[in-house]
Amino acid sequence: MSLAAEAFVSQMAAAEPWPESATLYQPLKEDQILLSDCASSLAVQAYLRMCGLPVQVVCRANAEYMSPSGKIPFIHVGNQVVSELGPIVQFTKAKGHSLSDGLDDVQRAEMKAYMELVNNMLLTAELFIQWCDDATAAEISRPRYSSPYSWPLSNVLAYHKQWEVKRKMNAIGWGGKTLAQVYEDVSQCCQALSQRLGTQPFFFNKQPTELDALVFGHLFTILTTRLTSTELAERIKSYGNLLSFCRRIEQSYFEDKDKSS
Amino acid sequence: MGTVHARSLDPLPMKGPEFGVQADDIEAADIEQEPKQEVLENKDVVVQQVHIDGLGRTKEDLLTYEIAEVFRAKNLIDVMRRSHEARQKLLRLGIFRKVEVVIDTSRGEDALPNGLDVTFEVTELRRMTGSYNTMVGNNEGSMVLGLKLPNVFGRAEKLTFQFSYGTKETSYGLSLFKPQPGHFERNISINMYKVTGQFPWSSLRETDRGVSAEISFPVWKTSQTLKWEGVWRELGCLARTASFAIREESGHSLKSSLSHSMVIDSRNSSILPRKGGLLKIHQELAGFTGGDASFLKEDFEIQLNKTLFWDSVLSASLWGGLLLPIGERPTSIADRFYLGGPTSIRGFSMYSMGPQSEGDYLGGEGYWAGGLHLYTPLPFRPGRGGFGDLFRTHFFLNAGNLCNLNYGEGPYAHLKKLAECLRWSYGVGLVLRLGNIARLELNYCIPMGVQSGDRICDGVQFGAGIRFL
Repeated sequence: MSLAAEAFVSQMAAAEPWPESATLYQPLKEDQILLSDCASSLAVQAYLRMCGLPVQVVCRANAEYMSPSGKIPFIHVGNQVVSELGPIVQFTKAKGHSLSDGLDDVQRAEMKAYMELVNNMLLTAELFIQWCDDATAAEISRPRYSSPYSWPLSNVLAYHKQWEVKRKMNAIGWGGKTLAQVYEDVSQCCQALSQRLGTQPFFFNKQPTELDALVFGHLFTILTTRLTSTELAERIKSYGNLLSFCRRIEQSYFEDKDKSS
Repeated sequence: MGTVHARSLDPLPMKGPEFGVQADDIEAADIEQEPKQEVLENKDVVVQQVHIDGLGRTKEDLLTYEIAEVFRAKNLIDVMRRSHEARQKLLRLGIFRKVEVVIDTSRGEDALPNGLDVTFEVTELRRMTGSYNTMVGNNEGSMVLGLKLPNVFGRAEKLTFQFSYGTKETSYGLSLFKPQPGHFERNISINMYKVTGQFPWSSLRETDRGVSAEISFPVWKTSQTLKWEGVWRELGCLARTASFAIREESGHSLKSSLSHSMVIDSRNSSILPRKGGLLKIHQELAGFTGGDASFLKEDFEIQLNKTLFWDSVLSASLWGGLLLPIGERPTSIADRFYLGGPTSIRGFSMYSMGPQSEGDYLGGEGYWAGGLHLYTPLPFRPGRGGFGDLFRTHFFLNAGNLCNLNYGEGPYAHLKKLAECLRWSYGVGLVLRLGNIARLELNYCIPMGVQSGDRICDGVQFGAGIRFL
């Protein structure tokens, strides 16, 4: 399909309202999903709930390969498939749902900068701990990642994924880092977020934005996921306002909905 | 008595065992000396010695099986016949470039007056042969490098390696073939490969990496093959616009399967036969030896040929297959059957019928297809006895169906489902035979019984392939 035709199709799709049948795909919740994927998936779910857009979560063992970008999660809305938080935010915006419309240009730039910080620091740290820390990789990541497959394919896929992540880490200069350095990076990132949040309910005062969804997705997942060491969660727990931020979002966007449904 | 040269044929094409011995080429093997038979037949002879000249790498013990029959000859005609058979056997091994037979009277101390010496003068193939060619197709160009070691360990073992480097995909295959000495039909082969295929009719890309081991042997008039295959299959969407049904099939799976196939082939040629029949049965059980995919697949092919008046041939064929999933998991798109196109049901686009989703064809779990052809020589027979014999005109009638089966309904319901919504087509066309392995067709087709969703090719359709309905 040509670019023009593709643009036309997405325009047409934008005109259609959000359907009830929208679906979010992620790997198997119990046996397969890893910390970083779970965090990204939760961030998208939080964002859609903040927008008030209903979405049904479906677990598939091959979610990673179904995704057009190879990243988790992705949503299937009408006949459109969109993956990752950034493009999903763009997609909902085209349909007339946006959380950041009330922000001015400076605030929007600030929001983008903090989102980049979370993606570059927290997400990368999660990937580093999952795949570059040998204990975590051997005990948690490889067995969980390969759980849907039978031997010897399970080993091939798990080691291939690990090799891929390590290569990426080397490319962005994280290859030589130690675990302690990564924890220190996470602390710094959390400190920056904590300072920005201050005593406000959300990062930009009264109204949640996609930054709130992204931070919540990562922090909440780190706090509730059991790893080989509790160090990562401990680092976050030292920032009280981030903890209450997570609790607040969980209560207002997840618990109420669950009760009413 | 002088020497008698029994050399009458060019060597067989060195295609190896894949295509079998071509009956067409051997038909001329009857000895030409029929009229002289009465004179020579009474003359008792003893074959005293058989020499093989020109051996290098080849181990002699392999050849003793092939030439043993020559010693049993009782008269000269017999010697010639058996020598000729031995020569065919030697050529079939695929390790000699040429074999010449020289029959002479025995010489030396213990030579009998009626003793004969038979000498096979052989020329071995090179230790390694290579080839390279370029291919264009499927919106991609590729370069294919082939390497063949026809006689690796000296006992007709064949090692082949093929590497294809394309603008989009890279494929390779390594195969080792070993026949049992003296019984060429009994052989084992071990293969390792990576193949990538793009299937635009399904918006699907498939990459297979696999190993397989198979053993072939003849039983009575049949040829049997047992095979184990382990394949790591990676499916993906060909484009972002692929339907969601295809997207759901994406990802990795491991298939480990045991399969058995049986072939009875009494046709005089595999392409454009004049007489004889073919029966092929293939069954595959996956999942029993591990892997993610588990199913039972049954597949058959029947073809009958009969020569009618004026060199025309009536040919009827029937194909059918069934795929039964075992356990909870539905069947994978990579295992299902596809139908339609210039090599099966003409008048429809390639593999473009049956279950589909948003224009992507998903294949079916059950199918049948039948074809009736009347082949005739070209009108007014231009180029008779030469180039023109490679061509035929044909009138055809194809019919078939492809669908998914719901396995709760029982066999009668399945048959009913395959019989309703019948797709069929008829037409006329020109067939060109390419060697003994492939054929080209140019047809004018009229598709009938088109169901909604089927993609048709009304009018002129071109087809090339190895297997034809």
